[in-house]
Amino acid sequence: MKRHLYKPGVLAALFAGVLLAGCDPEIDAPAPTAGETADFSTYIAVGNSLTAGYQDNGLYLDGQLNSYPAILAEQLQLVGGGDFTQPLFTQEQKNGSGYLRLTGFSAQGTPITAPVTDQLAVTRPNGLLTKYTGPIQNLGVPDIRVADITSTSYSSANPYYERITPDTAPNQTYLERVAATDHTFFSMWLGNNDVLLYATSGGAFSGGVLNSDFRTITPTNTFDANYAAMLNTLTADGQEGIVGTIPGVEAVPFFTTVGPVLKQSLDANGIPGFVALTGGGRDRIQVAAGQINAPQNGVLIPLTASAYAPLLAQPTGKYWRDLARQVSPSKDALVVRGTLLSLLAAYQIDTTQMFGLSGGNPWPSALLLDMAEISNIKAATEAFNSIIRAQAENRGLAIFDANQFFTAIQGGFSENGVAYSPAYISGNLFSLDGVHPTPRGYAIIANEMIKAINSKYNAKIPTVDVTQYRAVLFP
Amino acid sequence: MKNKIIALLGGTLLSASAMAGGFQVNLASQRQIGMGHTGTGIYTGTSSIFFNPGAMSYLRENGVTVGVSGIVSKIAYRAPEPGGAEALTDSPVGTPFQLYAVYGINDKLKAGLGVYTPFGSSVVWGDAWSGRFGLNELSLTAVFIQPTLSYQLTDKLGVGVGFVYSVGGVNLQRSIPVQNQQGEYGKAELDGNASGLGFNAGVFFQPTEKFSVGLSYRSRVDMKVEGGDATFTVAPSISGRFPEGTQFDAELPLPSTLSLGIGYMPTEALTLAVDISRVGWSAYESLRFDYSKTVNGADFTENARNYEDAYIYRVGAEYRVSEGLALRAGAYLDKTPVQDGYLTPETPDADSRGLSVGVGYAVTDNISLDASFLYINKKERTDTGAASGGIAGTYKSVAYIPGLAVNFTF
Repeated sequence: MKRHLYKPGVLAALFAGVLLAGCDPEIDAPAPTAGETADFSTYIAVGNSLTAGYQDNGLYLDGQLNSYPAILAEQLQLVGGGDFTQPLFTQEQKNGSGYLRLTGFSAQGTPITAPVTDQLAVTRPNGLLTKYTGPIQNLGVPDIRVADITSTSYSSANPYYERITPDTAPNQTYLERVAATDHTFFSMWLGNNDVLLYATSGGAFSGGVLNSDFRTITPTNTFDANYAAMLNTLTADGQEGIVGTIPGVEAVPFFTTVGPVLKQSLDANGIPGFVALTGGGRDRIQVAAGQINAPQNGVLIPLTASAYAPLLAQPTGKYWRDLARQVSPSKDALVVRGTLLSLLAAYQIDTTQMFGLSGGNPWPSALLLDMAEISNIKAATEAFNSIIRAQAENRGLAIFDANQFFTAIQGGFSENGVAYSPAYISGNLFSLDGVHPTPRGYAIIANEMIKAINSKYNAKIPTVDVTQYRAVLFP
Repeated sequence: MKNKIIALLGGTLLSASAMAGGFQVNLASQRQIGMGHTGTGIYTGTSSIFFNPGAMSYLRENGVTVGVSGIVSKIAYRAPEPGGAEALTDSPVGTPFQLYAVYGINDKLKAGLGVYTPFGSSVVWGDAWSGRFGLNELSLTAVFIQPTLSYQLTDKLGVGVGFVYSVGGVNLQRSIPVQNQQGEYGKAELDGNASGLGFNAGVFFQPTEKFSVGLSYRSRVDMKVEGGDATFTVAPSISGRFPEGTQFDAELPLPSTLSLGIGYMPTEALTLAVDISRVGWSAYESLRFDYSKTVNGADFTENARNYEDAYIYRVGAEYRVSEGLALRAGAYLDKTPVQDGYLTPETPDADSRGLSVGVGYAVTDNISLDASFLYINKKERTDTGAASGGIAGTYKSVAYIPGLAVNFTF
């Protein structure tokens, strides 16, 4: 009797099991493949802050973990890629260089940020970062320019590079460092800083009293020669790779956020325009309110101006005192005072006059990209991108046309029910520094690179679900 | 009080996955499910209240039918190429039900009451899938309560009409793409009760013993939600943009259905049926929520739906093996009302194919059982969802729907 009951019972259970397990619908998708020409087994990433995962005005563990090379490497692992090692900060020093976080909004809705100062990796004298000397595949160095890659003194100029430079070879150039690394595939997104550092400093450190080589636009022939040297190194054994172009730096939120607020304030107070310093010297120019963020003959105001914009039309020397503290060789109050006096003399500043409204107390050059500077930036970006494209095409490399991509998304786009645009904070793409992406922005960039690699090498590497990566966190 | 209880039931027990075109649930009778859900052109017993009130007048005995189905449904999602994201719904088992009672006032005039669930949707995508800013989960319920009168004009012609009062509710949850310090996304939940009015009418004509034909019409019912609760959970620094105590109004049209059915009985043991239905989905133009307070800068949200009228083609057969045992089978093709560009994760609809089998068994002279099993397979469909604020990708749905009913006659 029992057997009779047992058998239908088993049958019923089997039937139910098959039913429930076999119930799930499936969508056929092409299996991931590497294609035939590229070998993704050992991938290295060459580049600057964008490659390192820099965001929110700092390099810290969360950004490193969400760097586009890390995301790309994870996807390459689906088509034969191996492990990918980054010079990660430790958990104990996870805040790395320190960074900005959003702490709230003013009554007017202006975002308020504050620096994170705990759990830093800034543990050595002179602001040096805790060393990481193990082998690495993410060679991204914040601030590095194409112009810097052959410099033997670069590790003394850049703490991010010093951090990963072997103690036994302190004078190793970046080019030599890359040459010493084995790889079968590479990404190279370099060149942004050859124009970006000029742009973010308002062109004020190019020539003149405060001249800084790092904040000058790289000469085109230097760029061409160095870029070729790096690509020759990277493709020495016939390796394939992908290179990125330079996005139009003037369209990032760093340059587009403060302008409209300033313009509104000028318009509200019936002020037709302001007087500003231009370039690295003491020349004054007149700027009409209508020029701010205008597509033709426009000027742009960097995010660094947000602290000074409310002081317009007041007799203030705050900007110059801050600058003196920043550029002074010593923190000593007397030395700072001396620096301030020489700055005021050099630029012929009278801080008792109305800030921005008088020739005696003009809007500082560092807080403005004027028409001439914007035109320098555009010309350099175009020249560098022509070089990048030509050299990549000569070598049969994939190209992530970042310039084209960021131009195409200026008006914003929507994906998976989320709106994206280059707007500060609300655009979800850019972190609190207004220049570097959020982790989600990096994921979107990684996906664009994957699409370029797929198309160049006939591969089928799946893109990532970008919603799994965060944007700006709200308090 | 009663309304509340029914609405409560609607919200908990009766949710049914939308496994027909749009969010229609064609599971109105266990016998008819077995026959491919045909029934407009034949006698179907007490369920003629639903299929064709005109045929109800032909019932010889008083009867009560209680039945329920269990919908086990799954929807798979895959992001557009070369996207690697996948998702699979984890929807609860839907349990649409039917309750019909028919009482003969005299030989020609019959009164009946039907309570059934012709529309509904319950889909749970969860809060980890890539489309969660479009939808986490949706529960949509509608219970039709239909008192009906049917009159036999001649031996060959019957007419019937029913008044429909519909109650139900909607609960929609989606993630808000703004994260707090822990990286958690905000959440919006819209929850409200709805009600609406409509009617059901039918004509049944049987010129010969072997042949019958029917025409039925179920009107559109506008389900109105008034003063539903909109609850938002977001990071404190932006909570001012998502005010507490926000209420919403919404209106969802449940479309009309016009059906023509033909029955043919070549022998006494065999019944063949064919139905064609036209569903007036074009009534569903947009999904709009009006808020009582300004939510993130807007006092309403609206997404286009622009459904198109759609046809359903059905065939079914019943064979009486003996006096007490009947075997059934059927099939149908349910064309989607959703145009290209308008696919949404609420109802990632596509042309659906249904295959069914059923069995009827008389336990005693007064009690009989009907069991059915329906398999629904929707075509795999890839869409951008761009016109409806949907989530781009490829969707594929299947459902397994067993059901059981008990009939009493007296």
